Amino acid sequence: MNYSVAVFASIGLLLLLVMAWLAFSATRRQPQGVRDGSRERECIHISKLPQIRQALADSDFIYLNQRGYPALAKRIGNERRRIALNYLACLRVEFEKLLKLARMVAALSPNLVVAQEVQGLRLNLEFWYRYYLIYFRLVSGVGQLKAIGSLSNMVSALTIRLETAMSELGERAALGAELLPHNRGGLDAGG
Amino acid sequence: MPPIVNYLWAGTFLLQLVVGTLIVIRGYFRRLPFFSAYTALNLCQAVSLYAMYHYYGDASTQSYIVAWVSEAITLAARLWATVELLRLVLMSYRGIWGMTWRLLAFTCPMVLALVGIFSRSDAQVFVMQVDSGYHIVFAVALILCLGLLHYYPIRVEPVYKVLLLGFCWYSCARILANAALHGFSYAQYLHYWSVWQILSMSPYLLVLILWASALSQPAPATQQQPTLLTASEYRDIAPEITAQLQAINRRLMNFWKIQGPKQ
Repeated sequence: MNYSVAVFASIGLLLLLVMAWLAFSATRRQPQGVRDGSRERECIHISKLPQIRQALADSDFIYLNQRGYPALAKRIGNERRRIALNYLACLRVEFEKLLKLARMVAALSPNLVVAQEVQGLRLNLEFWYRYYLIYFRLVSGVGQLKAIGSLSNMVSALTIRLETAMSELGERAALGAELLPHNRGGLDAGG
Repeated sequence: MPPIVNYLWAGTFLLQLVVGTLIVIRGYFRRLPFFSAYTALNLCQAVSLYAMYHYYGDASTQSYIVAWVSEAITLAARLWATVELLRLVLMSYRGIWGMTWRLLAFTCPMVLALVGIFSRSDAQVFVMQVDSGYHIVFAVALILCLGLLHYYPIRVEPVYKVLLLGFCWYSCARILANAALHGFSYAQYLHYWSVWQILSMSPYLLVLILWASALSQPAPATQQQPTLLTASEYRDIAPEITAQLQAINRRLMNFWKIQGPKQ
């Protein structure tokens, strides 16, 4: 088998895989939390930063270890890691909201700036790379939990600013919002 | 021709008739004239090729020329049918449509150049490689378009999705069939032509089944034109959102370096 055949076969397989992903990725079922809105409701509490900070603080953990309660300290450590992961999930929801707005604005624009859209796509890929990097570090127990606190301030502020900007679009934004629930991905074949 | 090839011919011919009939009955020919023409051309190709193979044999020069000339015509028709479908889906979204064209104008020549580089300069397989090259460029372009439809919140009617995916699937299957046949040197094999026919017609049969089931549904109502933003609104909002997405990314990047508040 010569190299050109191998190249053609690889391209064919790759294209087939991408096509299958495009065809079926939009039909996958959303997690329960997203479907019934429980995740959205949970993420409303993203603004309760002081409580989250307190929950993530090291002081209790250090105190318990010093007083000779390692089992309790471990349990609390696991609980806090769970809180951190939930919080990270909320940040993801916020990021996705921003991204949906960006796509909606782009879809409703008469002229797109390609560089702008490419940059949006790049940011999206970067976010997911970093998100999973942090996620796996948290799951494996390598990360510092208190670091998360500072992120929430920024995301909440961004969301408020964006929602203000979008509300100025009035009916147009509302029309765009109607498009989103129908087809996030656009390719739910047969759906 | 072996019996299985005859069955495949009969199957594809019948299904093409069914697809053609559904296009007429469901009124798709008004909305998709190029796709209707493509279906009609395919039917004509099937009839003419069957007659050629019957009278001149499937290994004759006459059959070979008619087969590839008719294939070139249907490939051109397929291209137009695809552009028509994409235009129908994207015509309400002028910005995305414009960007799609620019993206294709940039990508297709590059893919074509790559195909040229990796092709063999063997005259015996030249036509087959041109065919593969066409299908690669076609599939890449179509997947890019499908990717854009996936990325942006654009509503695509299920019937149009199935038609586009059918084109894409068929091109991918043809690339693989051509590569597999060359890879295993089927050109030396006595039943090479029959094997190629089977590998080409089987995926098309599947496409026709999918199309027939999609076209059996009533034609979708004409989409309501969404009210577009003004160019200045996009210029104002889009960079703002991008800047904010950038800010989140920067923060994520520094995730482990951020110090928590002093207790």
